[in-house]
Amino acid sequence: MRRREIILAAGSAAIMRRSTAPAFADTSAGVVVGLVGNCSVVRGGQNIPLKLGDPVATSDEVDVPADGRLKLRMSDGSILSLASATRISIAAYQTDAAGQRQNARITLGQGLLRAVVAPMAHPAIFEVGTAVGTAAVRSTDWFIETQPGSAQVGVLSGVVVLRSAATGRAVTIPARWGTRLEAGRDPVEARVWAPEEFQAVISRTNVP
Amino acid sequence: MRQVTAIMFVLSVTIGCAANALAYDSSGDRQFPALVLSPQVAPGDEFYLTPETLPQTNGATRESNFTATYMKTITDDLGLVVEETWTAIGQSGNGTNYGWQNLDGELKYLAFKRPDHEFLLSLGLDRETGGTGAARVGAFASGATTPRVYFAKGLGDLDIGYLRPFAVEGYGGMQFADAAPRPDQTQGGFVLEYSIPYLQSKVRSFDLPDWLRHLTPMTEVSFTTPAGRSYGVRATMLIGPGVSYGGEGWEFAVEALVPATRATGDGIGVIAQLHFSLDFLFADSIVGKPLLSSR
Repeated sequence: MRRREIILAAGSAAIMRRSTAPAFADTSAGVVVGLVGNCSVVRGGQNIPLKLGDPVATSDEVDVPADGRLKLRMSDGSILSLASATRISIAAYQTDAAGQRQNARITLGQGLLRAVVAPMAHPAIFEVGTAVGTAAVRSTDWFIETQPGSAQVGVLSGVVVLRSAATGRAVTIPARWGTRLEAGRDPVEARVWAPEEFQAVISRTNVP
Repeated sequence: MRQVTAIMFVLSVTIGCAANALAYDSSGDRQFPALVLSPQVAPGDEFYLTPETLPQTNGATRESNFTATYMKTITDDLGLVVEETWTAIGQSGNGTNYGWQNLDGELKYLAFKRPDHEFLLSLGLDRETGGTGAARVGAFASGATTPRVYFAKGLGDLDIGYLRPFAVEGYGGMQFADAAPRPDQTQGGFVLEYSIPYLQSKVRSFDLPDWLRHLTPMTEVSFTTPAGRSYGVRATMLIGPGVSYGGEGWEFAVEALVPATRATGDGIGVIAQLHFSLDFLFADSIVGKPLLSSR
């Protein structure tokens, strides 16, 4: 609980800092808290290098190169860790004045994303979309990776619902479980992931 | 005496088949359903109930069993199975006998797993504790120990189109009785199954009704043969065509029981199973994960 308060306080502080920058006042979504390599953001058609403390905003496309990694603390206290060769776009990230998430939608274009989603006092959307389907959660620690024609999800804690964009069928994935989704098909039945499977995605998203 | 021994043996075969019904497991994108007659391959955190009934020969009119099974993982690859069965045996002109069978336990170790080939291999050591059940329903006074080898193989890694949802599982074991007149016996079985969830998620997604998307038709075969001195016991074979419905955290399966020899039974029976996946339903608690969990 204390850790959560600290995270929320830190998130609020980040929002307050960003509020002094007019360019992001209405669309700010998070801040860079860890970085390896030449990560960048595409904003308004321009490619802008990222550094520690830089904000990211709604509509940004965040790009992590093959030799890079990136960690973002979002405005609701959630932590996103991006593995190398990952690209996301922040479709929406709305929080209220108290830092409570209202609506968070992220598109994973390619690569691997770990999301430690902060719990909210009320139901709040946190979705990650891929080309083949969408994963939705409330609060959890989980991974999603997309490759051409497929996506896979692994859950460390909490519950994720993965829904196929083509068939509309969904599968529920509890803690320690994971599954895959292939283009145009139903999600594969979830199964218990082996410790080494989790270790592989943990190490790939670990940002020193 | 030979007739009584034969009845006890047939009962132990039928009960043994249910006792082998272990939890589902997976390898790669292959989810093997919870089987009913045949054993599953790997340890898990499961609880399931298995009622069955089968017409009998040799002085008994019908045998009905109600089996409860609890499986608990110790580590990710090692687990324990505890099982108890309550039996009712209709006697020709002598009413019905009721009672418990011997307590059964098994230690199971997942020895080999190849997710890319949807293959599993595990080893089990089953121990039936003699004298813990009622002799009037066929429980032996002496126990038995059964080492087993299990395997499961999905065909999804083969380029065979719509046949990829097929999978085969099987096991073999040798039961060593503690004392006569209980015979030693070889045990074995195999299962052929066609997973519609696998078809929908890995081959092609058809516009099927929701209920059909959860079904896995399967046929199980289980057999035993006395080894060494038989004490009048004969070989048996039981065939179980049926279907499994998989929900989220639970499964329900039902099969016909077709005796393939007269020593096995005397008519068509039925067996069902309601199966709860504790590792899904209680994923965040010790109930649903290994006692010595690394996560």
